[in-house]
Amino acid sequence: MQEQALFDKRISIALTPENAQFSLSAGGLLSLTLTKQDGTVEEFERVIPVRAFPITDPDLYICIREPDSRKKGKGEEIGMIERLADFDEQAQILIGQELDRRYFTPEIKKIHSLHEKFGYLYFDVTTDAGRSEFIMANPTGSFRTLEDGRVFMYDIDGNCFCVPDAARLDKASLKKIEIYL
Amino acid sequence: MKLLYDLGQAERAALDAAGGKDEEILYCIPFEYEGDRMVQGFMVLTASHLYKLCNGALTNVWEMRRMSEFSVELLYGCGAFMAKLDGDSVQLCRFSNGTCATRYTILAHACDMVAAGRTTNLPTSDEPERYCPKCGRPFIRNTHICPFCQDKKKIYTTLWRMTKGMRLWIMAPLLTAAIALCLTFIAPFFQEILINDYILAENPLSMDNWQDWILMFLLVSGAIVSIDVLHRVLNIVQSRISAVTGARFTRMLRTLLFEKIQMLSMSSVQKKSTGDLMGRINNDVNVVQNFVVHLLPTYFAQFVSFIVGFILIVTMSFSMGVPMLALYIFLPLPIVVFAIWKFRDKMKLRNRRAWMLGRRTNLTLQDTLSGIRVVKTYGREQSAIDTFADCTEKQSRQNLSNARLFDLVFPVLGFIMRLGSYLILWHGNLLLFHGTMGVGTLNRFNAYTNIIYAPLMQITTIPRNISEFMTSFGKIMEIMEEEPEIADVNMPQHVTLSGAVSVKNVTFGYESATPVLKNVSLDVKPGEMIGIVGHSGCGKSTLINLIMRLYDPAEGCIEFDGINAKEIGQASLRSQMGVVLQETHLFSGTVRDNIRYAKPHATNAEVIAAARAANAHDFIMSLPQGYNTVVGEKGYSLSGGERQRVAIARALIHNPKILILDEATAALDTETEKLIQDAIDGMTENRTVFAIAHRLSTLRNADRLLVLDHGEVAECGTHAELLEQKGIYYKLVMAQARAALEKTGGMM
Repeated sequence: MQEQALFDKRISIALTPENAQFSLSAGGLLSLTLTKQDGTVEEFERVIPVRAFPITDPDLYICIREPDSRKKGKGEEIGMIERLADFDEQAQILIGQELDRRYFTPEIKKIHSLHEKFGYLYFDVTTDAGRSEFIMANPTGSFRTLEDGRVFMYDIDGNCFCVPDAARLDKASLKKIEIYL
Repeated sequence: MKLLYDLGQAERAALDAAGGKDEEILYCIPFEYEGDRMVQGFMVLTASHLYKLCNGALTNVWEMRRMSEFSVELLYGCGAFMAKLDGDSVQLCRFSNGTCATRYTILAHACDMVAAGRTTNLPTSDEPERYCPKCGRPFIRNTHICPFCQDKKKIYTTLWRMTKGMRLWIMAPLLTAAIALCLTFIAPFFQEILINDYILAENPLSMDNWQDWILMFLLVSGAIVSIDVLHRVLNIVQSRISAVTGARFTRMLRTLLFEKIQMLSMSSVQKKSTGDLMGRINNDVNVVQNFVVHLLPTYFAQFVSFIVGFILIVTMSFSMGVPMLALYIFLPLPIVVFAIWKFRDKMKLRNRRAWMLGRRTNLTLQDTLSGIRVVKTYGREQSAIDTFADCTEKQSRQNLSNARLFDLVFPVLGFIMRLGSYLILWHGNLLLFHGTMGVGTLNRFNAYTNIIYAPLMQITTIPRNISEFMTSFGKIMEIMEEEPEIADVNMPQHVTLSGAVSVKNVTFGYESATPVLKNVSLDVKPGEMIGIVGHSGCGKSTLINLIMRLYDPAEGCIEFDGINAKEIGQASLRSQMGVVLQETHLFSGTVRDNIRYAKPHATNAEVIAAARAANAHDFIMSLPQGYNTVVGEKGYSLSGGERQRVAIARALIHNPKILILDEATAALDTETEKLIQDAIDGMTENRTVFAIAHRLSTLRNADRLLVLDHGEVAECGTHAELLEQKGIYYKLVMAQARAALEKTGGMM
């Protein structure tokens, strides 16, 4: 049985506007109609886009895969989009929505308060998704500063927040976090 | 873990309006995200519907009978609760991973059951919460202590109770420290007399009796010297006492903690990592000891000295009619505190920068050095050098700039700290010129000022030290107060086992939401060998754990000779069992010590007999010091097969009635396996044996084979019977035969 599965492994193909047709599924998610090289058409009720370089190149190399399911196990990769910009606007919006859903990273606009107590950092911030309070453990490992000035912060639950450019934060906010950068 | 959250009024109203009034709420779990916004929402499951409430309004209702395939997807920074509605995938809600991922996993499981029409026996979870139910803040890692809601009084009373028998010792440093400090107050008083009456006396020898004058002088100077000597002696005494108390306190706390950990059940110990437990025994005990033995006396003494100094200064200045002098001490106090606080912040930032850069250097160093072979094979030496040079350069630049700042800061800080003294000197000198105050008095005043200022430097560290102590002691208390889940009954029986074991309708799961064993039954006659087979994760080892009574079954029971395992004393039960696990742990010590671990007073003859039976005698004799060879962490390193045979000898030494082999040969090559197999074959006589094996050939001598599949008994019978059934066992045998065939084929 296991050997059979080995041979059946799907081979990932390059997805282009010619062979891949993305559409909105009945349940409001992403569907794919794939025309294979031999002309056969394969329908996927639901596919999942995953970024290969979510931080440096979010719109390049997007892998399209089947969802994991309890019955079939781990979802397999169907193919890869090299440049999202190659697709028409509608497909870009559809895939973009699905990506936004997957990569939920609110941008921090302002830090209202930050205090350290008993080894945890308690944040109170305004993000583009609304006001939020979160708690961070181990600041050394939970701040990730990139060369281009972006700062990612991970809270105790693995939720991710982002500061697009630390230098452009207002002075009071920056002062609160600069010790950790 | 909480699975039924309380709804707010608005939500409740919205739910009632949607017709959910008469339906019983089975689960109610919050979610946090909707689209690109953060919201406050709840998913409510009743027997017929799934409701979605978002910011107090109802947004969706799903009919359960149209839904299927509920699942949880872990996304980046959040999770999604998915299902199929009439066969189409839909997203139900998105939630914050850390708080709710486990809850939604359980909810998905429950939804599947409800959708299939079941409404009883829905999954629950006794997995511990990670957040304090009172204030919602997270617990300290690996514990259930909320530092904000901790019962401070309870901590102090527990500590007080624990110090029984050593209270005098703990109080002694407090006392000596306070006395020593009071002495420092007396010294300036004598200095005053010395200065005013002798050094500055206008007519020193004008006293009526010069002999008295000399005597007084000697007395005063003698007092000054002896106060100093006494002060130092007290210091010595105090540190001696502290050392003794510290050592005793640590020993007591560590022993208590270690005893408790040894007594706890497997399940509670397994929830904590070895590192965590070691941390508690080592670091946390140290923190508590340091607080009780060193910090507490220091704080106490400083508090006393501050109060005494304050009273002295105030009375002095009032008695002299110049209350201004006392005021001068406190006038610059706000500036001093502000300056310390301000500079601390700045220094903290700088120090942290330097620390982070230093850490980066270390990491780079470690990374490159441990990967030096890779660096060399890819010819990347230059880039490694560049990276490292960059790190060290940044670090040294930061250190330099820090040093430059600190060299400036500390003198300035020192100056500010002394502002009060300057003011007093200034005013005192004015008084001096007017003749209202003597030089000696001024000197005394000045000395007191310095004593009062000393504790101020430390005042900022007190809250942190106290909270550190609270956390550490809380962690220690947490273990102390844990009750072993598996406890002996009041009057545990001592039973001599015959080897008959019966497993009756046992259901068990490490977390109750996911049972690992479901309704497993098995009857074993004395002397029978049972092979347990199945895919990994099917519950083989769990069954063994239950038979060894490392855990108690949730439902059903396990009986030995018809007596419920719970009635038998754990010590009595385990002394009649022998266990060989896949990974054998040999303790530091000789081979002989390791073999007689289960029976410490075994004779040498018994040890050799057991070793012979385990096929270990030969290789032990070839070791440099025979049975006296030291093995384990620091000793002679044995191969996997040799270790395993020592373990078998260890299992045999007390001639157990029940023998358990959990993958005893899995990690070994075929040849060694053969040796061990022979050993095992020799020792199964007159014993009940439970053997788990991946390689089915190992079980060829088993009287019966039990095939487990997803926690249930799938098949049970002899090798031949099972082959005939052509079920799971047949497939496993065939798969292994084919694999073996391919292997030999490949070799040729």
